[in-house]
Amino acid sequence: MPSIRRRWKARLTLFMAVVGPGFISATVDNDAGGIWTYSVAGAQFGYSLLWAMIPTTIALLVVQEMAARMGAVTGKGLSDLIREEFGFRITFFLMIALVVTNFGNIMAEFAGIASSVSLFGISRYIVVPLAAAVVWVMVVHGTYSSVEKIFMIASTFYVAYIIAGLLAHPDWKTAAFATVTRPRTDGIRDYGYLYMLIGLVGTTIAPWMQFYLQASVVEKGITPRQYRAARWDVIAGCLFAAVVAWFIIVACAATLHTAGITAIRDAADAAQALRPLAGDRAYLLFAAGLFNASLFAASILPISTSYVVCEGLGFEAGLDKKFHEAPAFYWLYTLLIVLGAGALLIPAFPVVHIMVLSQVVNGVVLPFVLIFMLRLTNDRELMGEHVNSRAFNSVAWATVVVMIILTVAMLATLR
Amino acid sequence: MSVVALSELLGAPVRDASGAITGRVREVAVTPQDHPTRVAFLIVHTPRGGRVLPSGEITSCGAIVRTASDASAWADYAPSDGVLLLKRDLLDQQIIDVHGRKVVRVNDVEFESTPLNSHVSLQVVSVDVGARGAIRRLARGVVPSFTLRALLARIPPRVIPWQYVDLIETDPARRVKLKIAYEGLSRLHPADIADIVEDLPPAEREAVFETLDEEVAAEALEEIEPPIQISIVESLDSDRAADIVEEMDPDAAADLLGELPEDRSGQILEEMEPQERQGVAQLLEFGEHTAAGRMTTEFVAVPDTGLVDDAIAALRAFEGSREAVATIYLTGAGHKLVGSISIATIAMSRPTARLSELSEPYIACALDTPDGEVAALFDKYNLFTLAVADEHGRLAGIITADDVIAMLRHRS
Repeated sequence: MPSIRRRWKARLTLFMAVVGPGFISATVDNDAGGIWTYSVAGAQFGYSLLWAMIPTTIALLVVQEMAARMGAVTGKGLSDLIREEFGFRITFFLMIALVVTNFGNIMAEFAGIASSVSLFGISRYIVVPLAAAVVWVMVVHGTYSSVEKIFMIASTFYVAYIIAGLLAHPDWKTAAFATVTRPRTDGIRDYGYLYMLIGLVGTTIAPWMQFYLQASVVEKGITPRQYRAARWDVIAGCLFAAVVAWFIIVACAATLHTAGITAIRDAADAAQALRPLAGDRAYLLFAAGLFNASLFAASILPISTSYVVCEGLGFEAGLDKKFHEAPAFYWLYTLLIVLGAGALLIPAFPVVHIMVLSQVVNGVVLPFVLIFMLRLTNDRELMGEHVNSRAFNSVAWATVVVMIILTVAMLATLR
Repeated sequence: MSVVALSELLGAPVRDASGAITGRVREVAVTPQDHPTRVAFLIVHTPRGGRVLPSGEITSCGAIVRTASDASAWADYAPSDGVLLLKRDLLDQQIIDVHGRKVVRVNDVEFESTPLNSHVSLQVVSVDVGARGAIRRLARGVVPSFTLRALLARIPPRVIPWQYVDLIETDPARRVKLKIAYEGLSRLHPADIADIVEDLPPAEREAVFETLDEEVAAEALEEIEPPIQISIVESLDSDRAADIVEEMDPDAAADLLGELPEDRSGQILEEMEPQERQGVAQLLEFGEHTAAGRMTTEFVAVPDTGLVDDAIAALRAFEGSREAVATIYLTGAGHKLVGSISIATIAMSRPTARLSELSEPYIACALDTPDGEVAALFDKYNLFTLAVADEHGRLAGIITADDVIAMLRHRS
C-alpha cells in the first residue's frame, strides 16, 4: 500500500510541477468575446446548440496538445519555429495579422471590463484606465511564477459561471440529451443558426492561444520527459473551459430563451436580463465572472502578443531588459494596452461591432496558424519521435478543414 | 570589390558559358574545414535537380550569377555533414553575437565579392541583424532592385562582423566537422555567458555546455538561474557534469547537487575526484539555509606560528576563488581558529613579520547559524568573508560576501 501511495504522490508532484500553462490558456479562452457568444447562443437557440460542445472540445484539445508538445520538445516558441522553418516574409505577414487580431481581442476585453462594471453602476471612465494600469504593473513587476499563481486563482473564479448555471434551474434532462444527440439537419439552412455555430467554434479556438500556450510551456521549462504529465494539464484545462462554456449556454437557455429574450447586445446585457429570471445571485455571479474573465484575458493578451511578435521578427524582447534595450517590445506592449483601453474611452465607440469583428478576424487568421502548426508537428527533424501519429493527424487535419470551411462560410455570409 | 547579400543571391538566375539561364541559386555553401569564410560552392536548382557550382567558376555575382563553365559539367549535389548551408543553417536562425554579448536572429548574410584572376572570390563578411536585412527580404521581388538598393543605402546597418559570430549547432558530430567551438563565447565574462545561455533553447544550451572549457563552464554555470542550471546539468552525461561540478565553488556545487534528483546527484558525485567529492558531500549534509549550507570549504588558513612569507606562499598555492582570499585565517593548536588577517595587511607587511603580531580578532559563526544572522554579521562588522567554526572551534569553512548578496537578492 505505501508504495502505491508514494507512486501517486510522485505523480501528483510531477503534475503540480507542470500544471499551469494548459489550464490557464484554455480557461482564459472564455474571455469577454467567448462569454458573449455563449450567452447569445443559449438565448437565441436554447439547448439546441449544445451538441457542438463535444466536437469543439475535441478540436480544442487536439490543437492545444500540438502547441504544448511543440513547446516541450523544441523549447522554442511558435513564432520562432515559424520563422526558422518558413522564413522572414511569411513570419512578417503572420505577425502583422496577429497584432491586428490580438488588438481587436484586447479592445474586446476592455469592452468586457467596461460593460461589467457598468452593471454595478461604476463609470467605465474610471475603471478602464485603472484596469489598464493594473495590467501594466502586474505584468511588468511580476515574475512568471508569481503571475502564474495570480492567473491560476483567476482561473478558478470561472466556477462562478457554473454556480450561475445551477441557480438558473435549467431542465437538466433536456440539456444533457441535447449535448449528446445529433443536431437537427434543418439547422444547416437556418442562416442565424449556422452563423452562431461558426461563432461558437471560432471563439473557442483562437490563434493567440496557441502562441501563448507554447510560449508558457517553454517559459516553464517543461521537458519532453515531463510532457506526459503536462498533457494532463492541457486536457484538464480544455475540459474545464468546455464545462464553463456549457453552463453559460445552459443558464441563458433556461432563462432568457425560455422567456423569449433573444436580443442580447453584449455579455453584460445577458447578465442584466438574467436578473429577474434567475435572481440577484446569478446576476452578480454572471457580472463578476465577466469582469474576472475580461481582466484576466486583458492581462495575458498584450504581453503575449509583444513577446511573440518581437521574438518572431528578431527584436529584443523581455521584461528583464531595460526600455532602451528592447524599445520595440516595450512600445508594442504599451501601445496595445493604451490604445486598447483608450478606444473604450471614446464616447460613441462601437463596442458590439468590435466584439464581432475581433471574432471574425480570429477565424480568418486561425487556419493559417493551424496549417503552420501541423506542418511543424509533422517535421521529424524538428520533433523526432514526437511527431504526430497518423490517427492524430487525421483528427487535426479534419479540424483544420472544418475550421476553414466554417471561416469561409462565415465570411461569405457576413453582412 | 562589392557587397552582395545572401537574400539577393538566393533565387538569382545563373547564366552558364552559353549565356543561357540554366537554373536558380538555391543555397550558398561554406566548408569551414577548408576555409572558414570563403564560399565553397553554390547549389543551383536546375530542371534536372540540385547541381554544384564551385565558386572558382563564378565570373560575376549579383542579381545575376554568371559562370564560365558549362552547366552540363556541374556535379550532382550530395548532402554532407561538413558543409554549412547558409540558407538552412544561418538565415533566420539564432546566433551568438559575441561582441554585443547576446543572442540574435539572422536577417541576412553579407558577402564581399572580389575579382581574383578570371573569377570572383566570395567571402562571408558579416551577418545582418537589423532593419536593413529585414526590409531587403520583405521588398525583394516587389520593389525594383535599383530602387531597393537606393532605399537600403539610407538605412543604418546593424551587422555583426563574421569573426564575432558564434554559430549554434546542436548535433555534436556536425559541430566537430563544422569546427564550431564557441571560441568567442568562452572568452566572455562568465556572467555574460550565463545571460546568453539563459536566452537559448534547451538543446542549444546543452550544446554550448558540452563544448565549453570546464573551468569556464563551471563559472558560467554558477551564474545561471537555478531552474535552468538544473536542466543543463540533467541534460549532460554524468562524467561531463562531474568535470564541470568539480571546477565549481564547493558551496555552489553543493547547492546545485542538492536540487538534483538523488540518483542523479549520486552518479555525478561518484564520477568526481575523491578530494572534491568529499568537500561537496560534506556541504550537502547541512541545511541549505544555514551557515554550513552557504559556506565554501576552500579558504586560506595558516598556523599562527608562521611569518607573512608563509601566508603569501599559502595564497600562491591556493586554487579556490578570488573572493575567498580577502581574509587569511590563523589556526592554533588542534587546528582551532585563533585569529584573522586581512589580505591588505599581508600585502603591506614585511615578509618576515610574525603573523601572530598582525593578527586581528576574528568574527565567526556556528554551522547552524541561520541565513538572517549571517547577513547581520556581515552588515555589522563590514565583512568580506565570515568564518564558520564547528563545535570544537575548528574552522569548517567560510562564507563570502558575494554569496550573501546573492542570498539577500533571492529573498527580497
